Order: sequence, then structure tokens, then C-alpha cells
Amino acid sequence: MSDLVLATEKLDKVYKLKGRQVRALSDVNLQIKKGDFISIMGPSGSGKTTLLNVLGCLDKPTYGKVILDGVDVTKVPEKGLFKMRKYKVGFVFQTFNLMPYLNAIENVELPMEGTKKPRSERKKRAHDLLSMVGLAERKDHRPSRLSAGEQQRVAIARALANNPAIVLADEPTGNLDTKAKSEIVRLLGKLNIDQGTTIVMVTHDSHMAARASRMLFLNDGKLLAKEKQGTHLLKKEFTCPYCGKEIEPDDTFCPRCGKKL
Amino acid sequence: MLVVIALGFSMAIMISIPAGIMANQKATEQLSANYNAYIGDMEEEINKTLTLIQCSLSRGFAQNRPGFMTTTESFLNETAVNDISAIEGVKDVLPFLEKTEGTLQTRETPRGTFEMLVPEYTIVGIPLNDAYIDNYGVLPKDVTEGRNLEEGDSGVVLLSLNNTEYFGVGVEDRVNILGSYFTVIGVYETSDRLGLRKLYMDISDAQSVTNLEGQISRIDVYAEDQSYVGEIVSEISSLYPEFYLTTYEERLSQIERMSGMYETTLENAEATLGQTQAVAYQEIAVAIVATSLIVLFTMLYTVRERTQEIGVLKAIGFSNWSVMSQFMLEGVFMSLIAAVVGISIASIGAPVLSSLLLPSATSSPTSGMQGRQTFIPGLSLQTAAAAPDLQLMLLTLGAAVLLGALGALYPAWRASRTSPMEALRHE
Repeated sequence: MSDLVLATEKLDKVYKLKGRQVRALSDVNLQIKKGDFISIMGPSGSGKTTLLNVLGCLDKPTYGKVILDGVDVTKVPEKGLFKMRKYKVGFVFQTFNLMPYLNAIENVELPMEGTKKPRSERKKRAHDLLSMVGLAERKDHRPSRLSAGEQQRVAIARALANNPAIVLADEPTGNLDTKAKSEIVRLLGKLNIDQGTTIVMVTHDSHMAARASRMLFLNDGKLLAKEKQGTHLLKKEFTCPYCGKEIEPDDTFCPRCGKKL
Repeated sequence: MLVVIALGFSMAIMISIPAGIMANQKATEQLSANYNAYIGDMEEEINKTLTLIQCSLSRGFAQNRPGFMTTTESFLNETAVNDISAIEGVKDVLPFLEKTEGTLQTRETPRGTFEMLVPEYTIVGIPLNDAYIDNYGVLPKDVTEGRNLEEGDSGVVLLSLNNTEYFGVGVEDRVNILGSYFTVIGVYETSDRLGLRKLYMDISDAQSVTNLEGQISRIDVYAEDQSYVGEIVSEISSLYPEFYLTTYEERLSQIERMSGMYETTLENAEATLGQTQAVAYQEIAVAIVATSLIVLFTMLYTVRERTQEIGVLKAIGFSNWSVMSQFMLEGVFMSLIAAVVGISIASIGAPVLSSLLLPSATSSPTSGMQGRQTFIPGLSLQTAAAAPDLQLMLLTLGAAVLLGALGALYPAWRASRTSPMEALRHE
């Protein structure tokens, strides 16, 4: 039980839309262990984003429990929720949502504002995170001068700023080209393997979803019983067994030695 | 940027108007003090001279209105002194020569163009006779440097303190007056509230330096006794019908007339000031409301524009309070910048702004005034130059913080209440 980072019990979410009741989530029971890399798939309107919002303390469920890092979120008063969002959750958005008037490192520092960390430590942490996502040299650039992929990497660094229990990524590759897509998914996979970061990624791209360790399916607000293992399992699968070069998880041929994997 | 300029103007108005009012108030107070002192001096002087009959060709202090006097300086022949001395009951006859030197200025007023003599200094020629000096106080009393004039002095001059500044000389220096050099024998503290710079010298020196040989501007006739005054007046009138004679009673009634006139002017000035203040309060209120509204709408717009950003801030863990304080700070900051802009505008444009926005408190020359006028600096209500002082500027900065916070309060509160989910969905 102790390695459970996030658990939901009988989660229901009902919206009222134009006088009509819409059941976005229905009896969702989910258990996420520390170090999990989970992708949630489902067609549009299946409640993926709603689930993520509820998990990330942006929204409250109509019924049921959300236990995040041992705390029952549904019992936390509205005014205290910001603390959960600040320290327990890291958000990655489809549209990156960086502050356009702040440069890369300032964007990463932003969630640490108002924490007890001294300024120098915050700066160092932001710098380390940017190095980790491979953008140390571009730390003084504003989002407008970064490519979409780079912006998303900054956003991932920002999500990690307060060392959250879980990173929630809502269609993180939705606005990216193919190359940037695999870069981002690889980065998330790397974080998961190297740092043990727990990640929940919502996507409707089955290709990307397959890179996670667990694939869950959501339909009409219900979590389907079927679950799939993803291709992303171990670090060794990221390197060519013949020449040792880093490869894409879905490469069928090694780009260097050309051997079939 | 435009918003800041608009705010700046609104703040400039907030500064300029009080500055204008303060300046007007000060001017009126100064004027009132000057009037009272002036009238007091005159009355005191008149009471001392019960036996004095003044003879001149002009009406002396004939005033068209406060602050200006008609200076048709006219001179009479010295020989009159001997004729008058011969009249029975006359004790002493003192000739004086007073000539004001100055520059002619043309003043454009809404009622027409006037030529005005702006006095620079007045030469006063005195009969330097010890008996006269002792008995009739013809010389200034409060000599602070050097010595006073004495019988027999020639080629020397007694300067008022403000004259030493004007000529740039001190005691024992030589001073050039209308082309002739005089030695400064002493300096007296001027009690002349009108600010006319007077310099005293022997009457014959004065006649030669002003090219008025054998001419004088005024004769002071002292009777043996007050009972002789009537007879002497009629005697002089028959000898010199062109003379204008004033006795104690006439001078007293003249000063009363003048005093009445001054009071009317003061009352007018105060009434205008009252009106001005009423208008000013309205304008300041409008400026304050405008400032808050500008901040309010700008911040509302900003909050709307940045809804998504607010959503992100909340998603990454900003509390309602920190979102609210951020927008409050922005509002205050904006209005502070505007205050600085406003102060800059006001320090340059306060006189213009306040004169544009406030009804004028200055009295303009009355119609029908003709001829050359002498402008008396101390007794005219001048256009008060509005200049914002430091206190007012600090007050404005304070007001800016307050109004910025006030205007930003509602938008910031709205921002803090935004649901992060809704905000993130906002395009």
C-alpha cells in the first residue's frame, strides 16, 4: 500500500451541460504505484481530461475518493487545494502554457515561487532541470524563440520543479510534429526510468500510448477492464543490442548499424 | 502605453488643480496683507501731518484702480516756492522733485493694449536742510549702512536696500545714475511695501541729473497752525489756480476711498477663489473617479486576456491570494508609473492646465482705462503661477497607490476566483 502514489475509489463526475446531465466519469477505480508510467487512451469525450483534472486537484469529483500521496483530496477544502497542486502534482499541457514574458529558466522557477527554498537554490534547481531536459544553453530564451518541442521540454522541467509525487500530462504530444513527439515521449520515459518519476499521460495517439509501461482505456467515462503492457519496460530497450547506440523504442532497424532489432 | 498616458493626464489634473488653487490663495493672502499694511502706513503718515498742504500739478495718487496709477508726471516752476513762502501763516515750504525711471511695456489684455510704465527706480530730490530733516522726516529713518544724508551733501546718494541689488553697488561705491556718477553715502532698509525703489539725493543734484533745472514735482507747505490751513489754501489757489492742493482731510478721505476700492478688489478675488475651489473640487472628483475607472477597465481587460495564464498559475500551485496580489500589484504599478508621468506633465504644464481648468482669479484691467499706467508690483493680483510642490507630489504618489489598488481590486478578485479548469479551456 505504501508505494501507491495515487488511488481512486468509485470516482464519479457529473456535469450539467445546457440543463442536461453529462456523466463524464463513472465508477473509476484506479491504482497508480510509485514509478509507474501510465498512458490513458480513449476517444474524444471519453472523460480523459476530466479524469486528469480530478487527479490533479483542479476539479472535484461528484462522488468517490481520490487519494494522492496518502491524502484524501476530496476532504481538502477548496482553499487548501493549491498546496496539493503545488507540491504533489506536476502538470504538462498540450499547449505547453509557458508564460510568454518569462524566459525558460524563469518559467521553470515559477512553481517554486512562494516555497521556502532560497532564491539561489531555486535558480540552481531550475538550471539542473533544464540541463536534464537538454536545454541548459537555451535557458535565457523566451518561449517565442523556442521550438514547440523545446517549449514542451521546458514545460516538463517546470512540472518537475517541486519534485511532485506524480506528473500529469494531458496530450503532451498533441501539438507536436512526429520527431518532437518521439523526443518528448522518450524524455518522459527517461525520467520515469532514471528518476523514477511517476507519470500519467493522456493521449489518443496509440503509438505514443504504447511507449508507457501500462496502457489504460477509458470509454464513456468508464475505465475498461482490459489493460495492456507497453513497449517501454527497461532502459536496455532504448539501446541497440548490437552497437549500443541509443535508439527509438519503435525503431525496427538500428539507425547506425542497420541491423534488425 | 496609451492607458498610462491617459492615466498620467488624469493624475496631472489631480496635481495641477490643487497647485493652482494654492497659488491663487497665496497670491490673494499676500495681496490682502500688502493692502492692509499700505493703508496703515498711509493713515499713520496722514495723521502726523495736520498742518500740511501738498501742492502739485497732478492728483498725486489718483488711482484708476488698485495696482495702477496714472503717471502723468508734471512739473512746476521752483519760483512758486518763494511766492508761497510769502503767504501769511506759512511756516515752511519744502520743494521736492520725484521722478520715476522705468521701462515702457505694452501689455496685451483681453480688453485692449495698454502701455504701462514698469518702474525701475525713483529719484527723490530733497531740500537738504537740517531743520527740515529734523522736523518733517523727509528722509528715510532706518539707515542700516553708511550714514544718512545731511545738510550740504552733494554728489552723494542714499539708496534703498533693494536699489543696491538693482544697481549692484554698496556703500562708498560709485553709482551711475542717468549718466552721472554719485557716491553711495548710505543704505536704508526700505519700508516701501509697494516695492518701488527710491533713492534720495539733494534736490539740485536731482534737478540736474534729470534735466529738470528749476523744476519741481511737489511742494509741501506747512502752516504755523492748523487754523491757517484754510486761508493758505485759498491764497495758493488764487495765485496758482492750476495747482492741485490736498489737505489733511482730503488726504484722509482719499485714503478711505482707496481703502474701499482695495476691499472690493479683495472681495472679488476671494469670491472668485471660492468659485474656483468649488469647480476644482468637482474636477478633482472627476479625475479621481476617472483614474479608478481607467485602472478598473484596463485590469478587467488584462484579466480577461490572461485567463489562460491564470489557469496555468493555479494549476502549478498558485493560491487565490497570490494570483490576486499579483494583479493588485500590477494595477498599483501601472498607476504608479502613471503618477510619475502625471507629475512630469504637471510640473511642466501645471500653470497651463490649471488656467485651462479653473476660472481665472486674476482681475483684468477695466475698460475705459486710458493713458499710461504705472504698474505697482505689490498691489496687483497677478496671475498666480501654479507649481506643484513636493508635498503635493508625494500625495499624488500615495493617491496613485490607493486608486490603483482600488481600481484593481475587483478585477484581481475575479482573477483569483477563476476556476483553473475553466481558465485552461479559455482560448
